Amino acid sequence: MAATIRRIVQIVPLARIRQIALASGWLLVSLISLLPILGIVVGLWPSEQITFADVERLLAYQGLSVSVFMTLFSAIFSTLISLYIAFMVYSQYHLSRRLQSFEKYLAPLLSLPHLAIALGLVFLFSDGGLFFVDSGLPRKGLSTLIIAIVIKEVPFFLLIFSAIGRQLPIKYWLLQGKALGYQDYRCWWFLVFPPLLKQSRLALLAATAYTLSVVDMSLLVGPNIPELFAVSVYRWQSSFAAGDQVLAFWSNALLLILLAVSVFILYAHEKLASIGCKALATKGSRFHIGKINPVFKAWLPMLGLLIAMMVVVFTLWSFGLNWHSSWHSDNFAFTQLSTRLWQDEWLFFALPLQNSLLIGLLAGLLGVAFALLALELQRQKGKYWPDYYWLLAIILPQLSMVLGWQIMHIWSQGGYHSGWIVLSHLPFTFAYAYLVLKGPFQSVEPDYELLAASFGYSPWQRWWQVRFRLLLPAIFMAFAIAFSVSIAQYIPTLMMGAGRVTTITTEAVAIGTGSQQDLIALYVLLQSILPFMAFFVAALLARRFRGSVAGNSMGGGSIG
Amino acid sequence: MTSLLFKCLVSIFAVFFLATTVNANDVIKPIAAVDENSSQWQQTLKTARGQSVYFYAWGGSKAVNDYIRWATREIAQQYRIRLIHVKVTDPSEPVSRLKAENGRTSAIDLMWVNGENFAYLKQQGFLLGNLWTTIPNTAFLAVDKLPITVDFGEPMDGFEVPWGIGQFNLIAEEAVYPQPQLSAKSLLDIAKKNPNTVTYPRPPEFHGTTFLKQLLVDLTEADPRLYQLASQQAKEQLLPALWQYLDQLHPLLWQQGQAFPSSAAEQFLLYQQQNLSMAVSFNPNQWLKEKSAKQISKSSVRRYFTDGAITNSHNLAIPKSAPSPDAAKIVINFMLSEKAQQEKFTGVWGDPSVITALFDEKATMPAHPELHSSWHVLIEETWQQRYGG
Repeated sequence: MAATIRRIVQIVPLARIRQIALASGWLLVSLISLLPILGIVVGLWPSEQITFADVERLLAYQGLSVSVFMTLFSAIFSTLISLYIAFMVYSQYHLSRRLQSFEKYLAPLLSLPHLAIALGLVFLFSDGGLFFVDSGLPRKGLSTLIIAIVIKEVPFFLLIFSAIGRQLPIKYWLLQGKALGYQDYRCWWFLVFPPLLKQSRLALLAATAYTLSVVDMSLLVGPNIPELFAVSVYRWQSSFAAGDQVLAFWSNALLLILLAVSVFILYAHEKLASIGCKALATKGSRFHIGKINPVFKAWLPMLGLLIAMMVVVFTLWSFGLNWHSSWHSDNFAFTQLSTRLWQDEWLFFALPLQNSLLIGLLAGLLGVAFALLALELQRQKGKYWPDYYWLLAIILPQLSMVLGWQIMHIWSQGGYHSGWIVLSHLPFTFAYAYLVLKGPFQSVEPDYELLAASFGYSPWQRWWQVRFRLLLPAIFMAFAIAFSVSIAQYIPTLMMGAGRVTTITTEAVAIGTGSQQDLIALYVLLQSILPFMAFFVAALLARRFRGSVAGNSMGGGSIG
Repeated sequence: MTSLLFKCLVSIFAVFFLATTVNANDVIKPIAAVDENSSQWQQTLKTARGQSVYFYAWGGSKAVNDYIRWATREIAQQYRIRLIHVKVTDPSEPVSRLKAENGRTSAIDLMWVNGENFAYLKQQGFLLGNLWTTIPNTAFLAVDKLPITVDFGEPMDGFEVPWGIGQFNLIAEEAVYPQPQLSAKSLLDIAKKNPNTVTYPRPPEFHGTTFLKQLLVDLTEADPRLYQLASQQAKEQLLPALWQYLDQLHPLLWQQGQAFPSSAAEQFLLYQQQNLSMAVSFNPNQWLKEKSAKQISKSSVRRYFTDGAITNSHNLAIPKSAPSPDAAKIVINFMLSEKAQQEKFTGVWGDPSVITALFDEKATMPAHPELHSSWHVLIEETWQQRYGG
């Protein structure tokens, strides 16, 4: 009797604690996910009189329709092209056992910032480029912009596929497909593509939103007659001439509409693609997309070579090589190169690098933890919220959103320290961690947990020792991405930190607006070091733990 | 993009400026600034000791960054004040912050500003006034020799202090640009002979708009109406010359005028890569500094338009709500000292001095006054209408 009473006494607070834990979990998660909405509302709140008459002024802006169309086209097209290329590359690598652990090769491809890729591309291949290869690539044009973005997005999608793929019984599906008499490549398209597409929807949204609103890359390699829409928005937003702030308000509203339209297009594409795959599969019709598949085996090595060339060029620049250090003449000698710049700058980049590292670690870890929390809470509720809700930080126009945070931060009079910067990075690291983790999290085979429960594991033990362990490879990838996202943040770091905390990116972005190519190159390299290490370590660790694969005997993932 | 908020004071300024440059013997009106030895300034020095000054300034130029690093060391030694350079990518960043702060204690102590940003901040009452009377070294500003009392039509009125001088010039290949001066016509001839090598930053980028202004001045033979509020009639009579000229020029430009560099920095990179025969600059000595740093070819020269280089100043201002205004004033005072102005000119940066003692006509080019700001807006808007879409 006494024992029973003691048990009841124990149980009641436990249930209470559980309730409290759940409630506070929801509270935390909703706070983080609501920050973007709060930011955009406060940030876009008009400080001047806004009238609909100004909409006419915006619509009358010369070249607006072309600009909007080009922007939307480049965003959707570059995302989808990257998706298909990444899928073909992934299918090639998945087939070959030797190359299965390709993730570690992605590290260098993922770690160069977007702008550096664009810079490298034009300086290597455009007219007057270093290697005098006239590729016909315009120095500024939509095609150059799209190529630069595709180069950057394909490895990103590959990473996402790899995280998702570890949780899917792909080999099992392929075997079944083969048994039904389909060739390999058809199995890929009919059986693997639809679920992979569905699970990488968030990554597609993120990539499209990024391209829609990217300013620095558009300025460097994008067309500017007319200029891309994000550039116009940025110009109005940063101008305090009469009437420009009002234009900024309406152009931001239009940007939001564009984002909504692209979300719709991506959903429609997903629907159409799965219907198409199904139709083709049932009709048994022939299509020859698989014939060019082997080409994609060469994609990663080619890309690796390209990135290596860029890194070499940046390194040479940072050692003082340029178009006027007798590169053209015969007496060029490597002795002309010097480490002077590295020595000069060393004193000044050590601290920002350290700040970046600490902020990135903290924001990355918290982002992953909150993403797991959000997923677990939804799983317990049995209902998942719409994807775009969790990705608002990535989807909404960043400048207005962060402006809202800045205003709230100023109201709070909380001072300027790195805690605020971590907080301002958190919505982004959270969103990226969420987009990597959602697919793998949902496809963890529940049988394992059931089995663990039958062995008497408590819910907490089941979660920690089964689910968490199974998710580890995806968690490493999520952390690497979240970490590098934090490293890359410029606007939140500057606007919340008010220059009190400098990171390698605040330095690099400021330097990047100038014309000192040796210094630009040096900071590009510095900016890439931390993400490179994160991706590399994550890939090595991910190999050691393989994910949960249903139909286990069939799904020989790479076992480290 | 310069604002319509500007009032029509440029005409007065233009007359004043032209008169003073023509006749340097005019009576110099001394600026009534506080004395270095006065108790007021000594008090400022005392309160500022140990304070930090957060200086919001564009961080894209190594030369400027290095100069600020030098100043930081000097100021720390002399005044025990910590100067911290907050490197921004766009001069509008501090403006946007001050707007968000809306009078609350600012994160900014000192900022590098001019043009429309200054006009906006002054109008909104975000700036600390009386700088010229409370900072001793403002007494030595070369107001009689340089157009440094009015900032794009907006009188400074003590809300900002000139720090340096911008003069529009081209950095160009000598073989292609043999004449020391440039006219609209000679530029067109050069573009014909060397197609694909001439361009300018896409307006409303500031250098690009100034390039168009220089052409307009040349094509209208510096019509006096350009320095007054643009009337409908003046607009109809003066602007078509520019558009007709550009219609001829654009097909000869880099990328046939189908794309333009986004900034002067980007154009400079293209020039470095020898894709272009010219770059644009507001620093009259950039060509020398870049040449000595082996960033550009040895055959690079400086060229300016025959009517003189459009000249303006870049300035320092203190927000009204700055936490350490006294320390910021000391920094400004130091920046105007002979030592600092000398280093700015002879050191890596090469920015001309704004104080009388160091004023050197050889350091600058013949100056041409800024156009009235209404022309600035008109040029940008019409350019966008005609060529931007």
